[in-house]
Amino acid sequence: MSKVWSRRILEVLLVVFAAAYLSPIYVMLVNSFKTRLEMYENALALPSRLTFEFYAEAMKKMSFLTAFGNSLYVTLTSVVIVVILASMTAWMLVRTDNWVSRVIFLTFVSTMLIPFQTIMMPLMQVMDWIRSTLQIPMLNTHEGLIYMNVGFHAGMAVFLYHGFIKSVPIALEEAATLDGCSKFGVFWRIVFPMLRTITVTVAILDIISMWNDYLLPSLVLSDKGLRTIPLSTFYFFGEFTIAWNLAMAGLTLAIIPVVIFYLFAQKNIIKGIAAGAVK
Amino acid sequence: MVKGKKLLVLLAVVAIIALVAACSGGNKGTANEGKLAKISIFQSKVEIAEQLEALAQQYTKETGNEVEVWGSVGDAYITQLQAKLTANQGPSIFSIGYGSEAETFKSYYYDLSNEPYVKDIAPNMALEIDGKVVGVPYGVEGFGLVYNKNLVNPADVRDLDSFTALLKSFKDQGKNGFSLSQEAYFLIGHILNTPFALQPDPQDFIEQLNSGKVKMAETKEFQEFARFLEAIREYAVNPMEITYDKQMGDFATGKTAIVHQGNWSYGMLADFGELDFEYGMMPFPLMGNDKIAVGQASNWVINGKAKPEEIEAARAFLNWLFTSETGKNAIVNEFKFVPAMTTIKADNLDPLSQAVYDATQSGDTIPWAMNFFPQGIIVNDLAPAAQEFFLNPGMTGEQFLKKLDEVWANAVK
Amino acid sequence: MRMKNIAWYALFTFPLLFIFTTVVIIPFVIGIAYSFIEWDGIPANPKVFVGFENYVALFSDQRFLASAGITALFTLLSLIAVNVLGLLFSLMVTSGLKTSNAARTMLFMPNLIGGLILGYIWQFIFTDAFKMIGETTGWSGFFFNWLLDPQYALIALVVVFTWQMAGYTMVIYIAGIQGIPDDVLEAAWVDGANAWQRLTRIKFPLLMPSFTICLFLSLSGAFKIYDVNLSLTNGGPVNKTEMFAMNIFNEIFGYGNYGLGQAKAIVFFLIVALITLTQVILTKRREVQM
Repeated sequence: MSKVWSRRILEVLLVVFAAAYLSPIYVMLVNSFKTRLEMYENALALPSRLTFEFYAEAMKKMSFLTAFGNSLYVTLTSVVIVVILASMTAWMLVRTDNWVSRVIFLTFVSTMLIPFQTIMMPLMQVMDWIRSTLQIPMLNTHEGLIYMNVGFHAGMAVFLYHGFIKSVPIALEEAATLDGCSKFGVFWRIVFPMLRTITVTVAILDIISMWNDYLLPSLVLSDKGLRTIPLSTFYFFGEFTIAWNLAMAGLTLAIIPVVIFYLFAQKNIIKGIAAGAVK
Repeated sequence: MVKGKKLLVLLAVVAIIALVAACSGGNKGTANEGKLAKISIFQSKVEIAEQLEALAQQYTKETGNEVEVWGSVGDAYITQLQAKLTANQGPSIFSIGYGSEAETFKSYYYDLSNEPYVKDIAPNMALEIDGKVVGVPYGVEGFGLVYNKNLVNPADVRDLDSFTALLKSFKDQGKNGFSLSQEAYFLIGHILNTPFALQPDPQDFIEQLNSGKVKMAETKEFQEFARFLEAIREYAVNPMEITYDKQMGDFATGKTAIVHQGNWSYGMLADFGELDFEYGMMPFPLMGNDKIAVGQASNWVINGKAKPEEIEAARAFLNWLFTSETGKNAIVNEFKFVPAMTTIKADNLDPLSQAVYDATQSGDTIPWAMNFFPQGIIVNDLAPAAQEFFLNPGMTGEQFLKKLDEVWANAVK
Repeated sequence: MRMKNIAWYALFTFPLLFIFTTVVIIPFVIGIAYSFIEWDGIPANPKVFVGFENYVALFSDQRFLASAGITALFTLLSLIAVNVLGLLFSLMVTSGLKTSNAARTMLFMPNLIGGLILGYIWQFIFTDAFKMIGETTGWSGFFFNWLLDPQYALIALVVVFTWQMAGYTMVIYIAGIQGIPDDVLEAAWVDGANAWQRLTRIKFPLLMPSFTICLFLSLSGAFKIYDVNLSLTNGGPVNKTEMFAMNIFNEIFGYGNYGLGQAKAIVFFLIVALITLTQVILTKRREVQM
């Protein structure tokens, strides 16, 4: 009996704590409904009226649907490519344990420490060189941004896969190789399905950072029609004045798709685990 | 079966790589028959972004020429401009500030000296480099003491003593007499402009300061400036507790009598709805100063490194902006700028812009000497020194000036 | 056979390596070259080769050295806070409580708010909310505007960074915990191990790969912090919270000293790489192979 009760209390405590943890999100939500005067009077109080006019205005100014489509295309394509290439690379690096692999791995890992701000100018020069000499339009195109996204997220994805591939029993792979499977077949048929948990993790983390990224897209994309969601919120951020209600509404709109995605992915992880237990 | 699947995966990977590498969307610079090349505009004032987009559409409707307006959040503009120029993806027309900022990018400017509208720029307002006119101002802006007419009579704010007395009396009434706010420009940049602007030759003074020949601590305008700041620290609410939002909110609700701000703050005041008092702008009375500080908001320049046909189209756009009725109307009524062109009539100005406009017309202005401060110094060096002064009550005005001299010397080095 | 293996190796690793090299490695190498040059970063303006002058100059830059100390302290505090909380969260939400799924989503949400706006939102909390709580409860010794006090401003940054990153590491720890086979835990349970023993003897050793990853990610994230630094404190008050990345950014884009900024970035990179790679190698050694 007491055990049941202590469990109940723990359950409640957990939710209370999690709710308190979200108080900054409360600040974001309530202020997306307030005028500047209301917010000046009390930034923490509940709004006096629940009107979605700032959401409507923010959506209109941001050309929300276009921006949403752009963000979706760039983020999803980038993540798919990162997952495919990084898992393959990491698997090879783990299974071929020699100095070349170790150097490559450490290079991937150590470059995660470079602050982006210090390489953004040379990056622009390199991309301009590719554009002008090879005639490949790296700048002001979504595809160019995807290419760069893949490059910048390669390090962490390889790092995450590398850690988890080690725990995949090698015996299965050897058996499959004896059965005449090529490396390609071994990887895609045997290894990759077992990496499901970490794949979802990599996808979640990369989707969030790409979805929210402002700096890189702002350097690569110029045209209005190409803007991603974070880029299209620039209207609300003056040098000194921020249109708080629109900015907060825009931000709320921007994160809703990611929350939905996370809920979906979370279910998937649990299913994945269940499936793994049966195997 | 297995073979087929393998091939499929391989193909998919190759296809994706090929897609990313080669997917070409090259649609730049295609000049249609009779039409000018498509141009791009990149500028720093987020506040006019939408209006500029609307104006660009209007331009396309009237002339058939296309204009793409880019966007950037306010404080990332220069970095983005630099990145885009580095990548040879520069805009056809962009905006640039005065002084050290204009100097940095000078190799990019197209010579506008022979453009028809240049003669209409108000005296001393054109951006000139090496004797050539390279930029046309957005408009003029001015700052000083923005005051509540119900609470303050300008005749009572003439000098240090009357200013201090006023702050004291407000403090006794439980109100805030005067406020600065914590953002670097609003905390120190603008207010520090005054002692510089009052020098006989501000630009020369800055050069001497850079080479260490003069010191702020030994110059009388600065000594009095320090006493003003001491009074503010003693009798007004600590600026470090105040953001620009709060500053204008306090002003709009009558809790603060005077704020040190510019005519741009009208936009913020308007957000607070109809105010139940009138307000105006008066000079910051350092050494009895009776003029407000007026300068150029920003300047339009043409990217001289753009393609010739793009430069051609950019010139046509600026010409249209400054000579057509639609363009001139947009500058005053849509962008809400105080015009810096003699050919543009200003009416329906808000009270603060009106004060700036009147001062410009009568010539009762002091310059924006801060434009000639070393690059980045206000945000990186002067603001931290001012924060220290306002957070540490033990620091005297004299020590503060010495600190300013010290960080200045350090920034120049 | 050997040739064939090399071909497979190349096929698997080359595409990513190629992209990675063009996007990260080459720009980084160009950046190293710029650290020997005096230049303002504007392509059309002159570049002057100055050898190691920039490197000499940065060691007499008091503000840079101070920011190094601040960054180190910040990183240490964040590292502990992020990982303790992240691990705790992951254990709580995998404990099978009924509310754990809801809690998991809620704890993860802070991660979704990226960049600058995060700092602005927290500004309201530290200025408005703290002041209000201080006034109503009378505990103004703790609830005051943290951003105006150099020490508390740094703690404020740690709080915000932790708030954002703990959910991030939680995701990775969860993946690790769920990767632990149930039979191992059941066997331990049957053998009479109590909850604490199961945690420290079984879960922790098996979580070593997750520790490696989370420590590294929080370490590199803390060292590189910029957005939150900019929007929450902007380096203030009085430069007491100016971190490495902000100092470098200001040097390059604020003062226009491109070469000096790059030299700082290289020195920064070498220091951080040395520390974190040591950490990775140390924790990797303790990982258990299945």
